[in-house]
Amino acid sequence: MFRGLGRMAYSYLLMMFRTKTALFWTLVFPLFILIGFAIVFGGGDPERIAYIVPGILTITIISATFFGTSMNMVAQRENGVFRRYRATPVSPIVVVSAHALVSIFNLSISLLLQILAAVLIFNIQINGSLISLAVVAFCGFFAFAPLGLIVGSVAKDMKTAPAITNLLFFPMMFLSGAAMPFFMLPDWLQTIGKLLPATYVVESMLGVMVRGAGLTELFAPLLVLLASGLVAFLLNGMLFRWESNEPLNFKRLGMAVSLLTLIYIIAGLAIPSLKMSQRPVASIESKTDMQYANARKWP
Amino acid sequence: MVIQAEKLSKHYGTTRALQGIDLQISESGIVGILGPNGAGKTTMIEIFEGLRMPSSGRVSVLGLDPARQSSTLKQRLGIQLQSTSIPPDLTSTEILKLFAAFYQKSLQPGEILKRIELQEKAGVRFSNLSGGQQQRIAIGLALVNDPELILLDEPTTGLDPVARRGVHDIISRLRDQGSTVLLTTHYIEEAEKLCDRIIIVKSGKIVADGTPFDLVSQAEGSSTIWIAVDGELDPAPLQQAGVTPQGTEGGHLHFITLDPAAAVIALGHVLQAQNLRLIDLRMKRPTLEDVYLSLIGQPEDEQVHDDARKPSMQNRAE
Repeated sequence: MFRGLGRMAYSYLLMMFRTKTALFWTLVFPLFILIGFAIVFGGGDPERIAYIVPGILTITIISATFFGTSMNMVAQRENGVFRRYRATPVSPIVVVSAHALVSIFNLSISLLLQILAAVLIFNIQINGSLISLAVVAFCGFFAFAPLGLIVGSVAKDMKTAPAITNLLFFPMMFLSGAAMPFFMLPDWLQTIGKLLPATYVVESMLGVMVRGAGLTELFAPLLVLLASGLVAFLLNGMLFRWESNEPLNFKRLGMAVSLLTLIYIIAGLAIPSLKMSQRPVASIESKTDMQYANARKWP
Repeated sequence: MVIQAEKLSKHYGTTRALQGIDLQISESGIVGILGPNGAGKTTMIEIFEGLRMPSSGRVSVLGLDPARQSSTLKQRLGIQLQSTSIPPDLTSTEILKLFAAFYQKSLQPGEILKRIELQEKAGVRFSNLSGGQQQRIAIGLALVNDPELILLDEPTTGLDPVARRGVHDIISRLRDQGSTVLLTTHYIEEAEKLCDRIIIVKSGKIVADGTPFDLVSQAEGSSTIWIAVDGELDPAPLQQAGVTPQGTEGGHLHFITLDPAAAVIALGHVLQAQNLRLIDLRMKRPTLEDVYLSLIGQPEDEQVHDDARKPSMQNRAE
């Protein structure tokens, strides 16, 4: 089984390095986003940029898992590669895990490039330890990768996949504090935000990078991410489809969505207030207000 | 027993793809499922592969239930699917290594490439191979686990004649190595040339089953005999033996008969009695194509039948 997993992940990497578009999304696009955000919203100011970067890293995690992993899976299922795998003894867990392994490889490169660019080009200060940052990034990946894989199993073809991903991606981006500061959202939107996994990634990322928090302090949000990731990974096995024309099991999908929502309702109740819902220190505050003003000018 | 099926049926909604298939395959060699498109060939083979569930009936492949023991069974099956795709950006060797990793027991890529005669394309990406070479890789994938039973679904459809011959050679060699191959095809000549046993299916039912030789011998329909003799033959005694004269054709006397064996003996006697010497004898028995068309039937059955025969008859006469 592990031989199959290793070989499949290796083959996918070979395929990726031979496709120019895949390299663009892994190497060029994340840098482009970071530099764009840092210039447009951060105005080149290291302190402001430092407050923006955790959100950008979160967006990178979401897009790598949602767009990268899920689209790959849908494409392979639609063109019949999965059907060929089905004629072998390989198990769905191996196929899904191989996609997840490739995803974490790509994501690590993207995140590393973004952090390097933020530090080297924009001189931001990372207040927490790099190990804590790596652990937080991994927990974020662990929560999101199975969600991306579920989208990959639920989406019927390459036409429906982007619709589903965008439907999830945009609320996650704007209600989690990733694209605009969480404390600026009205209370009711913050409440909705607490039901989204992305919110807990941004909370932990901000914690490490801006407040210099250690892992013990971030125990609660990280636990939420790990728990939802584990549940979502197990649900993958139930929703996996080898072929596009296999009917989707709506009962199982409904169960999966309710179970995941339940985890985040419990999380929202157990963690009554997120650190990032408070305004940051005055010096950043005025700047982030400006950032919000800039954000509103965004077309 | 390699494959055993009892009263196997499969319905898709109101469409009845298979209607009570009874089948036993116990021998090694090449068994061909021959039938028109939509006859249920793919449904049948994919039920054996465990990719589709039968609506009713029982099936066992290599002594295992394809539905319940699918992963054990797949270790021992070599499968080539009709509609599928192979990662285009991997090379031949990489593809074979990838699929070999899924099995407990597997052959080296070099060995497979030798069997499919593609050694010189080991480092070439799948997308850069010709259609025939891609199809050979697809068959190669069915061999990576050194399977006990090889199932090929329309292995030559869409290939040009040269590429098709290449695939035929590969499949023939599998037989020579003692493997059991079950393949589907809608090419009559392919089945006749390649298969040790042909199962003809129509509308989800088996309508004929036997060696190509047997199928042709069992055929109902008349054989045609042309003879040339050094004199005037009185056909009356032949007619009594069931050999009907049809006039002359290019200097040859033309007869049809339902019993060619008896006709030849009668002809010998008649020629001897009339003291004539036989200069030339040609005979055309019903072909597998005639048998196939008579079993499968077509809207304009008779017409197609006759049209198909005329040109070959003229060729013979010229």
